[in-house]
Amino acid sequence: MIEIRGVTKRFGSFTAVDNLSLSVRAGEFLTLLGPSGCGKTTLLRLLAGFEMPDEGVILLDGQDVSHLPPYRRSVNQVFQSYALFPHLSVRDNVGFGLRMQNVPAPEAAARVAEALEMVSLREQADRLPHQLSGGQRQRVALARAIVCRPKVLLLDEPLSALDAKLRHNMQLELKHLQRRLGLTFVFVTHDQEEALTMSDRIAIIHRGRIEQLGAAGEIYHRPRTPFAADFIGQANLLQVAVVGRNGTTARVRVGGGLELTVASAELPAGARTALVSIRPEKICISKQRLDTENLFEATIEEEIFQGATDQLRLVTTQGTRLHALVANESAMQEAFHEGDRVYCGLHLDDLVIVQAE
Amino acid sequence: MHAPADPAPLPGDRRHPGWIAWALLAPMVFWLAAFVVVPAAILLVYSFCERDEVGGVVFRFTLENYQRVFDPVYLRIFARSIGYAALTTAICVVVGYPVAYTIARASEVWRHRLLLLVMVPFWTSFLIRTYAWITILKQEGLLNGFLQAMHAGGGPFNLLYTPAAVVIGLVYAYLPFMILPIYGSAEKLDNSLIEAAYDLGAGPVRAFSAVIVPLTMPGIAAGTLLVFVPAIGMFAITDLMGGAKVPMIGNVIQNQFLQARNWPFGAALGVVFMLMFVVTYGLLQRRGARLAG
Amino acid sequence: MKKLHSLLLSLATLVALPAVHAAGEVNLFGWSEYVPQEVLDGFTKETGIKVNFETYASNEELLSKLVAGAGAYDIVQPSDYTAEVMIRRKMLAPLDRQKLTNLKNIGPQYRGMVHDPEDKYTVPYMTGTVGIVVNTAVVKDPIKGYRDVFQPKHRDRLVVLNDNREIVTWAFYALGLPANEVTAANLAKARPVVASWIKLVKVFDSDSPKTALLNGDVDIGIVWSGEAAILWNEDKKFQYVLPAEGAHQFVDVLAIPTTAKHKDEAHQLINYILRPEVAKLVSDKFPYTNPNLAARRLLSPEQLANPASYPQAGNLQPFRDIGKAAADIDQLVTDLKSAN
Repeated sequence: MIEIRGVTKRFGSFTAVDNLSLSVRAGEFLTLLGPSGCGKTTLLRLLAGFEMPDEGVILLDGQDVSHLPPYRRSVNQVFQSYALFPHLSVRDNVGFGLRMQNVPAPEAAARVAEALEMVSLREQADRLPHQLSGGQRQRVALARAIVCRPKVLLLDEPLSALDAKLRHNMQLELKHLQRRLGLTFVFVTHDQEEALTMSDRIAIIHRGRIEQLGAAGEIYHRPRTPFAADFIGQANLLQVAVVGRNGTTARVRVGGGLELTVASAELPAGARTALVSIRPEKICISKQRLDTENLFEATIEEEIFQGATDQLRLVTTQGTRLHALVANESAMQEAFHEGDRVYCGLHLDDLVIVQAE
Repeated sequence: MHAPADPAPLPGDRRHPGWIAWALLAPMVFWLAAFVVVPAAILLVYSFCERDEVGGVVFRFTLENYQRVFDPVYLRIFARSIGYAALTTAICVVVGYPVAYTIARASEVWRHRLLLLVMVPFWTSFLIRTYAWITILKQEGLLNGFLQAMHAGGGPFNLLYTPAAVVIGLVYAYLPFMILPIYGSAEKLDNSLIEAAYDLGAGPVRAFSAVIVPLTMPGIAAGTLLVFVPAIGMFAITDLMGGAKVPMIGNVIQNQFLQARNWPFGAALGVVFMLMFVVTYGLLQRRGARLAG
Repeated sequence: MKKLHSLLLSLATLVALPAVHAAGEVNLFGWSEYVPQEVLDGFTKETGIKVNFETYASNEELLSKLVAGAGAYDIVQPSDYTAEVMIRRKMLAPLDRQKLTNLKNIGPQYRGMVHDPEDKYTVPYMTGTVGIVVNTAVVKDPIKGYRDVFQPKHRDRLVVLNDNREIVTWAFYALGLPANEVTAANLAKARPVVASWIKLVKVFDSDSPKTALLNGDVDIGIVWSGEAAILWNEDKKFQYVLPAEGAHQFVDVLAIPTTAKHKDEAHQLINYILRPEVAKLVSDKFPYTNPNLAARRLLSPEQLANPASYPQAGNLQPFRDIGKAAADIDQLVTDLKSAN
């Protein structure tokens, strides 16, 4: 659907998008995820036509649109601030694009009504934007964009202005809408949880480049770079030294002396040091001795109650500090408290090598 | 938008301003009373009075002055003044809008520089600036000299002391009053709204007419008010650049005080003029209110 | 009668004017651009009396300020017909001629004039006429009177005073009507003449009618003689002609209002201005006709040869006060102008 080939965009001496290539498949929900200033918004603006690339091409349905103005591209955007026209009613806001494209009035009216129905705003059609709640405005912005039947819908942090609960509802609503309409969504966010919830694929953008591109689960479970591991979810990043190899496994040693076994597949031959990522919830904790590889003992230094989960700060006997996450126990399960000595276990596959040299 | 029901009043949150608030307001109240209310009241009283032979005001009630205002002589002058002011306002909008919009969209550094340039003419006296235009437009002036140097046929042209010269002078004098309010509303214009218009398929022209103009309408309305009303009453430019050939309502009012010894009639004209201002303002406000919903 | 400039100037001076009435000062309310500053400075230097100078733009402005009781002026400078009404309304104090030792310098033809037959209240300051100035480099036909000026061939080449009474009075002269009998019947007779004249005029300007002539925008003007004299000094091609049908002669006088608080100082200043060498300063700056014959003897031959300052004798008449008829004239001219 969209082909981005070697696109570079500079602002003065700052390179916002750096020789980036990416293809977006028809009907998928692709999220551009990254911290602010990473270039994700610039990339979206390049797709929308608000910026023109300095190098590279952007193909939309096989057609080079790199230098077409926004009004000649069949993509539409939902703006972060919604950008609703304050002087127009909800109905006129939604109908704006159709009017600009000279869609005959009866057809336009029908499509507007349909779009308003879809976002449950039929009742509010004659209100002005400032008379709506935040969530309603968000839906107007959405309806205004999809009523044009774009090939690709671009969404620039559309949920960031909503409160947490509403945002969660809207995430699901958006996702359902996308599935129902079979539209291609390119969604920009800096919120990794939102990205994981909604996306078919996530592209992690860092310093104008794609750090990692993949399905949500793959990105979470198998981060490829320290940045990806750190940015998505939480991660214990451990600097290790390779101390031995044995077929499909390798032994590595953490600073204080703790030794662990990792899968050697991702460890290049000859690598002497590596960075290992461990998701906190993957650390298995018990007061009983566990029957597992990578077993070690630790003391609970601090317990932080987080509702559904407890966050534990562990110190191994070798002095390595780790974050762990455990489901908040029911009365049937073991309870952990500060000062407890526990056994920790890690599965081979949960130790992800994100860097090696 | 509906405010939630009033909570119980807090100590510092009173609906009725205390004496400190009144003290703070006092200078403005005094200013308004001394320089707006009192003169307007005097004008109103005079307009119903008779005059004596040396131009004094005799406090005897009469409606004669208002009857005279509606004499065709003065109605025609009112109409002409409004016509000139309307033309001036229209030109100011057409010329001032692109200027204001460009300034508002410029980078911050340039915005300040350009705004300064708009305001620089205010640093010299209005008369000096008007005389500068006379120097440009007169028969042996800069413009005719330039045209002759370019070998444009037919010259020298009669530029000064024509209606066109009056309009040039009026536009020149009032253009900043159009530019500044439009700049004010264009500067507040959210860029993403323009992008949204483009995104939804509006080319530059339609984005301008369907989004930018309606959203900067408050600036246009304020500018119109600031240009149109004073332009109706302007007399110096018609005298200096128009050769005082066609009297404007401002000239007529001025004459009542300085030549005709008829203060009450001048006051009546002034009152009618003020009413016109109120009506114009009311119409614009209503229109603005409709736009804001 | 430099309306615009002086309107603004007087606003400025109004602000600067101190309100105190200490001894040793005198408040002069005069025409703008008519009293040289060096005259006032010289007086202050010699006597130590401070002169507070405020200006006005028209006789009507002077009248209305005095009627309204605004300001405490010690000397005013009305034109003859305004002085006449002020005397009639007892707004001027009789002068103490003992104190005006230099009064003898005023020529006999400027004494006992119609506005003040006994010379009780006023002393002539400067006099002048309203006449025709012709750019002889452009206009070759002989111009003798109003009828020669207001010809279709001179359309858009004319500047005249922006003064409605002047314009109507010229029509009266052209029609042979008595200049000061402003009656409804006479105005009706003058109306078609004024209407046809106004169509021919390019510029109406009382403040500085010489500008349009100097700039080449017009070739003929009917202007104050002082303006014409300055034009002649600039270039001898600007010839001054007293209209054959009759011309307005005005005398601007010095007088003391009855409300004056510094009558003694006022007399001193008037007497100072009457000195030949001081009156000469006025002529140097504002080349109207100087009624001070002793001062005239100090003028250069060129100054005396200026035909606008010292024209050949003509049919000269003063304006008389016309009271409320001023408004009828105003409406007539306004109507005709706006019919253009």
